[in-house]
Amino acid sequence: MNEMEEKFGQIYFAVLGAVALAFGIAELIASAGGGFTWGILDSSGAANPMFLSWRAIILLSVGFFYLSSVKDFAEVHQLAKAVMASIMIWIVAGMAIWSMIAGSIPGEETWFNSLEGFLASYAPPYSPEMFLLPFSLVILYYIKKEGETATE
Amino acid sequence: MQEVVKVPQSVDERWDLIDKISRQTVEFGAYKHTLKDAIAELTVKPLTGIPVAIAVIYGFWSFFCDFAGTLFTDGFMVRLFDEHWLPWLQSVFPGGLGNPLYALMIDAGHMEDGVLVASDNCFEAFGVLTSGLFVPFGVVLWAVLAFYLIFAILEDIGYLPRLAVLVDTVLHKIGLHGYAIVPTFISLGCNVPGVTAVRPLETRKQRFMMITLLSVFVPCGAQIGIMQDLIPELMGWIFLTLVIGYLGFGFILNKIVPGKSPEIIMDVPPYQMPTFKNVMSKLWIRTSKFLLVAVPFVLLGCLIVGLMYLTGAMDWLVAVFGPLLMGWFGVPSETVAPLIAGFLRKDLAVGMIGGLMEQGIMTTFQVFTSVVLLCIYFPCLATFALMIKEENWKELLGSLASLVAMVFIYGGLIHLVGIMLGVA
Repeated sequence: MNEMEEKFGQIYFAVLGAVALAFGIAELIASAGGGFTWGILDSSGAANPMFLSWRAIILLSVGFFYLSSVKDFAEVHQLAKAVMASIMIWIVAGMAIWSMIAGSIPGEETWFNSLEGFLASYAPPYSPEMFLLPFSLVILYYIKKEGETATE
Repeated sequence: MQEVVKVPQSVDERWDLIDKISRQTVEFGAYKHTLKDAIAELTVKPLTGIPVAIAVIYGFWSFFCDFAGTLFTDGFMVRLFDEHWLPWLQSVFPGGLGNPLYALMIDAGHMEDGVLVASDNCFEAFGVLTSGLFVPFGVVLWAVLAFYLIFAILEDIGYLPRLAVLVDTVLHKIGLHGYAIVPTFISLGCNVPGVTAVRPLETRKQRFMMITLLSVFVPCGAQIGIMQDLIPELMGWIFLTLVIGYLGFGFILNKIVPGKSPEIIMDVPPYQMPTFKNVMSKLWIRTSKFLLVAVPFVLLGCLIVGLMYLTGAMDWLVAVFGPLLMGWFGVPSETVAPLIAGFLRKDLAVGMIGGLMEQGIMTTFQVFTSVVLLCIYFPCLATFALMIKEENWKELLGSLASLVAMVFIYGGLIHLVGIMLGVA
């Protein structure tokens, strides 16, 4: 990757790391106080209260991973930290999406959900990792760049 | 002309020969780490590897709960069995409530204000054709499928050996190698292949310890599936109690069991993409084997427990063991029935505890204690049969003696903690 890409990566993942860290702290506080819902952000853990503090620890780790990857970002071991942080987001967000899918198929009174009920299952609010998910995908560009550099 | 090589006689000569061959055949130079290598390193270093392991186990557990619980069991199976299968059988099976054959096959019913009433769900009915089919096909099958699917993916990616490296230090404190995490993980699906997987451990001491710990402190996927369905709010506490027991009693066994715990060398392969065909064939083999073992035992368990109720044998056992259960463990005498069923299938026994809970016979703490007791008091029949095969009679007696001691010490401790907290 060139200098410009490295600089962008450093700033981008520093910001993303800070946001992930903030979400992690918020979830940790929420897990102690019973959770909260703020606009489209849901940290209530209503579906699975057991998972709230667990998720908080993961988001805190994601934040630390991203922030620690910023220095000398183009170096492969540093980049690996950002990749690992993104993979952790994909695991947690992937499971949140899977939870929505699993909950949207069976109906309350009938075997299968109605179309309205099905669509309503995907409506906000969303848990914090869902907001991090699209931003974490930027790492794919850097993985591709690293692959190109390695084959040169 | 080919160089004549003298056959090495001593170890030093052999090493010299190896050096010579490697100098001629291996190209030396600086190896540039790839991204895959760097990620592989991150997953085995404790500082970064532990958070990754926490995320992986989170993913594992979330998938398990939503696949087995939300989607299949709660979404479709409970409705199928409780709203269609049970009422249909209740309406067509000859005899009706109070008839012995009807009680055995369909519904034993339960007493409410001195009146025998029909059950409205398959956990309470406890007939061979109701609970006997609901437990394996309504709950356990989906739990086992979910477990083995994720397990096969993690295995094929190459994550499990890294997890073994990661927990090596902790497990060495209790005399086990990091590899012990593999049989432990397998046992979370089913204890039977878990016990078989201890064979690579080098010494008898390690194998004995591992088999004892697996059969006592590691609940199988079937049991976890039922627990998740009946008492999801207690799962965290139950697992915490079992992990403490696993490490605590592992530490004690390591001190008192004679023998060595040497290092073993494990292959840590590079990360790779799992193939669909491999994952599916593993899933099919493991799940079908599991069902072949589980279904007959669940049906037999329902039949035996039903017969014991009908002949009055259960009442006698309740009278004999009731005072011990109530006095030492703090659980109601009715727990005798699930403990007996647990010899055959622990998932079935947890289902029975769920039935008692729904009838209001147990407090939350008693449910918690009963489920932990059920996990630790004795391995299921299939695991016990394998223990007989894997251990010599001395080791088997040792395992059973350790097991009895663990149940009484740990069960009593849990009761004591409950009393101190004011919940027992």
